[in-house]
Amino acid sequence: MSELIIDGSEGEGGGQILRSALALSLATGRPFVMERIRARRKKPGLLRQHLTSVLAAKEIGHATVDGAELGSSRLHFAPSTVTHGDRHFSIGTAGSTSLVLQTILPPLLNVPGRSRISIEGGTHNPLAPAWTFLERAFFPLLSRMGAQVGGRLVRPGFYPAGGGRVELEIEGGALRPLELLEQGAIEERRAEAWFANLPVTIAQRELETLGRGLELGPSERHIVEVEAAGPGNVLFLSLYTRTSTEVFSACGERGVSSEQVARRVEKEARRWLEAQVPVGEHLADQLLLPLALAGGGTFRTVAPSLHTLTNAKVIERFLPVKTHFITEAPDRCRVDLRPA
Amino acid sequence: MKPVVVLGFYGATLDAASGPRRWDRWRPTVDLGRHEDLLIQRLELIHQPEHGGPAEQVALDFRSVSPDTEVRLHPLRIKNPWDFEEVYGALLDFAGRYAFAPEREDYLVHITTGTHVAQICLFLLTESRRFPGRLLQGSPPRRQGQGNVGSYSIIDLDLSRYDLLRRRFATEHAEGSSYLKAGIPTRNEAFNGLIDRLEAVAMASRSPILLLGPTGAGKTHLARRLYELKKSRLQVEGAYVEVNCATLKGDQAMSTLFGHVKGSFTGALKDRPGLLQAADQGLLFLDEIGDLGLDEQAMLLRALEEGRFLPLGADRAVESAFQLVAGTNVDLPRAVQAGRFREDLLHRIDLWTFHLPALKERLEDLEPNLDYELLRFETKHGRRVSFAPEARRLFLKFATGPEAQWPGNFRELSGTVERLATLARRGSIDRAAVEEEIAARRQAWQGRAPSGDLLERVLGDQAELDPFDRAQLAHVVQVVAESGSLAEAGRRLYAVSRQKKKSLNDSDRLKKYLTSMGLSYELIHARKNS
Repeated sequence: MSELIIDGSEGEGGGQILRSALALSLATGRPFVMERIRARRKKPGLLRQHLTSVLAAKEIGHATVDGAELGSSRLHFAPSTVTHGDRHFSIGTAGSTSLVLQTILPPLLNVPGRSRISIEGGTHNPLAPAWTFLERAFFPLLSRMGAQVGGRLVRPGFYPAGGGRVELEIEGGALRPLELLEQGAIEERRAEAWFANLPVTIAQRELETLGRGLELGPSERHIVEVEAAGPGNVLFLSLYTRTSTEVFSACGERGVSSEQVARRVEKEARRWLEAQVPVGEHLADQLLLPLALAGGGTFRTVAPSLHTLTNAKVIERFLPVKTHFITEAPDRCRVDLRPA
Repeated sequence: MKPVVVLGFYGATLDAASGPRRWDRWRPTVDLGRHEDLLIQRLELIHQPEHGGPAEQVALDFRSVSPDTEVRLHPLRIKNPWDFEEVYGALLDFAGRYAFAPEREDYLVHITTGTHVAQICLFLLTESRRFPGRLLQGSPPRRQGQGNVGSYSIIDLDLSRYDLLRRRFATEHAEGSSYLKAGIPTRNEAFNGLIDRLEAVAMASRSPILLLGPTGAGKTHLARRLYELKKSRLQVEGAYVEVNCATLKGDQAMSTLFGHVKGSFTGALKDRPGLLQAADQGLLFLDEIGDLGLDEQAMLLRALEEGRFLPLGADRAVESAFQLVAGTNVDLPRAVQAGRFREDLLHRIDLWTFHLPALKERLEDLEPNLDYELLRFETKHGRRVSFAPEARRLFLKFATGPEAQWPGNFRELSGTVERLATLARRGSIDRAAVEEEIAARRQAWQGRAPSGDLLERVLGDQAELDPFDRAQLAHVVQVVAESGSLAEAGRRLYAVSRQKKKSLNDSDRLKKYLTSMGLSYELIHARKNS
């Protein structure tokens, strides 16, 4: 199969384009060369977390790789066949386990077989999908498409200490297209403030602020103390509807008050509620790839992010599909992914 | 890319922290594992045995932020971590035991943690390549106490990699060389190379330096400039002491050099420190060292080897740390053979030997030296003097021509310039004055008989010669020995017939003559200094 040449500095221009390309290359068997990797970033080239993704992709796809070095601005990646198996990966600098997962999960979905995968690192990081979001919102949709994905959070890992661990079981199968156009009636709301090695008042203040903003009742508020290597805090709001689940979250950070953390979650949830769509900004980002591998699908979401648009472009390089973004309202968009 | 291995100390102050809030703090060692652009394969963490617990905590935290890193703990007993000798020794032993494989691994020596003494020792061991790596220096994040990652820099002590520094050193070296030449833009390549080497040696070493060369070649001048250069670079603190050994005779020699105590001999009315002591922390220039008496040689050797010696009549040795520069125009190995010079002393001072060429061997430098001498005259007498253009051409033609001998070398040139400049009318040296000086030089040089010594050296135990042949051969050998090639010697020896164009090949004619005497150009040059 002919080799694709991808400019890594295009679009969002960071690690996302690399992870998508790796996942698609594994899923399609098509080799690629990525040039100008993260060229416009402050520290250009491959960083440790990207290198971990490249090496994980190399392992599951038995790929031939050139340029997998720290600081490398050019990567050549040629996979052979993707195989299931029991595998363990770890990501340094308390980097997000979700980012490794983004790279290796899609290609395993439509290959028959079963994998058991454990990943160590950060599980709830400020700039990456939180594990809990993947587990509650994303994995059930994958199962609906024909692949069984079950996950377990063994231990949360927060920045800066890391040391978290997640475990997954993936059973691949032929993926079916997904249609998710209407936001279902909300059946359950669950706000959770997790904290580790920090005062409980942080969690209390977060829940108080979020509860007041969204009029949550006492049974909808949960304080959860978790065991972790270092200090950490994350606030979730899970909204279970008749058709699907959405999870919005924000991490507590030094220098950011509990009230601010709560307002971030509230803002995102409100946006979703007001848009009256089933798929939020981050879930849209996750769904594109499985849809493309299934050969099509459609969902309604908020205005797409640069991440999502970049993702769609990379997908079109690898697969004969076309993604249509149909804006229905200022913050409401229907995404149709169809064979080109 | 070779895998990176970091060696460093567990920092009992900066790395030590317990409880969850330790993650808020900047801990230099743990911080190394948190850089997105630095992947450490292995961390070798040295710690005091009693810090095993906290060091283990650092190792655990390191693995948490950098699961790809293997952390190895090395308990190392250092009784006093502020004791330079002990720390250096302990680290040197560590380096000796450690199986460094620089061809496979890239070593970074972490100097952010540990006592200042430990940091200095790590620096020294890295600089001396006992730790074959580069230095790794961490620095805290701008806002501390919030769990942020700091920054790091890698410092390669191979300074040739730093372009800016390399240019500065090159400039400094060039300035040093130029200083040693008193700013004279000399053209002779061999001489310029010699000065560059001398500058490098003098700046890097305090070992003795031996300056060889004929009288007037500039040994004294060079020794003094050497001292001033070292002084300007803060390499010497003491004084410059200069003595011509030929002027030291008898009891006075011992006393002058090594000093005496009151009453050690008749006339020793009070203590006298001696020149070696005067040169403590400075530079001692012993000119004509070949003329030093054997007893003084023995004392000097001891002073060089032990840094101490016994003044006359004293029962306690005194110490003096000086750099020795020795000058001579005699053939010291021959002096050793003749029993006039101690072999052990020769070996001691014959470490850095520089042969200063005679003026005649670098006539291309005569012109810049001429200008230098004129400038010197101006500085000394406050009068600016220059050659009339024609006079200058005439003088240079003679001074650098085939007739030029300059047995007194630069001293002789200096005297010549001084005479010309002193007699110059209205600051101009005219043709008449130059012609007069040329005549004086010719006369002075004419009387120079070829040295019998040279002929003896060249002939060895050859057959005896008639005095008639000897005189002719001596002159021929002298000229050949002074010439840079057979052709040059031929031109000089057959100067008259050459002008009349009688002979077509001077070299061949000379070669045949030499062969008839059992000699050759190569043989003469091989033996002339033997």
